[in-house]
Amino acid sequence: MEKKISYSEAALNLELLLEQLESGDIELELLPAKIKEAKEWIAICEAILRDTDQAIEDIIT
Amino acid sequence: MSTIQHIRLSELTKQLYDSIQNQFGAESYWISARAMNVKKYISNRRCYLSLEENYNGAKVAEMKAVFWSDYYHEIEKFEHAVQQAFTDGVEIICRVKVRYHAVYGLNLDVVELDIAHTLGALELERKQTLEHISQVSKGLVKEVDGMYVTPNNSLLIPSVIKRIALLTAAASDGERDFKKELHENKHAYSFHVDTYACTIQGDQAPALIKEQFSKIMNSGIKYDVVALVRGGGSLSDFKPFDTFEVAFCVAHYPIPILTGIGHDRNQSICDLMAREFKTPTKVAAWIVERNFEFENRIISLKRDIYDSVSCILNEVRVQLATAKRIVQLSDPETIINKGFAMLMQQGQIITDLDHLHKEIPLDIHVKQGNIITHIKEIQNQYGEED
Repeated sequence: MEKKISYSEAALNLELLLEQLESGDIELELLPAKIKEAKEWIAICEAILRDTDQAIEDIIT
Repeated sequence: MSTIQHIRLSELTKQLYDSIQNQFGAESYWISARAMNVKKYISNRRCYLSLEENYNGAKVAEMKAVFWSDYYHEIEKFEHAVQQAFTDGVEIICRVKVRYHAVYGLNLDVVELDIAHTLGALELERKQTLEHISQVSKGLVKEVDGMYVTPNNSLLIPSVIKRIALLTAAASDGERDFKKELHENKHAYSFHVDTYACTIQGDQAPALIKEQFSKIMNSGIKYDVVALVRGGGSLSDFKPFDTFEVAFCVAHYPIPILTGIGHDRNQSICDLMAREFKTPTKVAAWIVERNFEFENRIISLKRDIYDSVSCILNEVRVQLATAKRIVQLSDPETIINKGFAMLMQQGQIITDLDHLHKEIPLDIHVKQGNIITHIKEIQNQYGEED
């Protein structure tokens, strides 16, 4: 069974990539792949956020 | 015809009348006695009774007495002041006039009641009962600032009250008022109410009330509270609620008791031993209000949780928005979209002239697509051919 990625795991990976992007340490030829990976982590984070938001809404209302 | 000297009965009664009238007619007397066989006729405002005196359990004196309509208000004053029915067994001090009638015999006309005496006697009796309860309870029942702290009124009441044992007189105003207020509450809360009915007036009442308390305990139902109520209707006897027997039971009862015994002026001893709400309606209203307070607390907590969670989620949204902006700014596509081009050979981005191969086609990546071209010449930044 595929392990479900937690928000903190996704956020940590995203943070590491952002640090690299901001510091300019990435080789330019590696940049498209890093950008793609960052976008994927952002999408995962957004999906978890959406699900969490909905779950809380369901519990509280 | 008889030769014995005699007089007519009426002559004898006349002599008796004259003697009694002569001896007692002008006077009235304050006497202490117990009222018995009390028969009140409210419509013509008369009350017939016996006045008795007992000594060591034996009756030592008894006379018939009457309150005529001119003095019936003395009974009403008594009941209003004492908050107790003028009925059999009441110990009174009253002012009487002796009256003899040839047909109806010897009677006492009651013309005044010493209400202060009765109040004092009741107060003394009440004080003795309270002291007795405190003594027997061995420190568990204590007076603090005029209030009584008892095992019962120290019990915690559940935040939500659902199961109620109602101890009251069957089909009484008290039962009706309590249930009406409870079941017709504006919040539409539902309650489980079991009625434990018994006579709550008269000499048998204390034993019957205690019996109902035992039934509640033996029912096996985990009641949240017991509502002990009476009320409405005419003035009745509150004595059972001032007896040691019932009050001691209330003080030590293991389920919280809420009293609505229905008298605004006085507190019964049971009221002091439990939690007092005066009337059945007020007991029910308090129960509904308590549940409403709990619901409000829950709503408030939900709001707090929602606010806290929203705050956390908003922070996360801001962080993600920042991340997206950074990624977008770092994305070569963003730069190309501004009119710049990216050079690639064999799928690799060329960042250094040394990596260019003259013989391999050059892929110039621009906003609308790619331009594939061949390199004619490569020059360094000083215009020199590499």
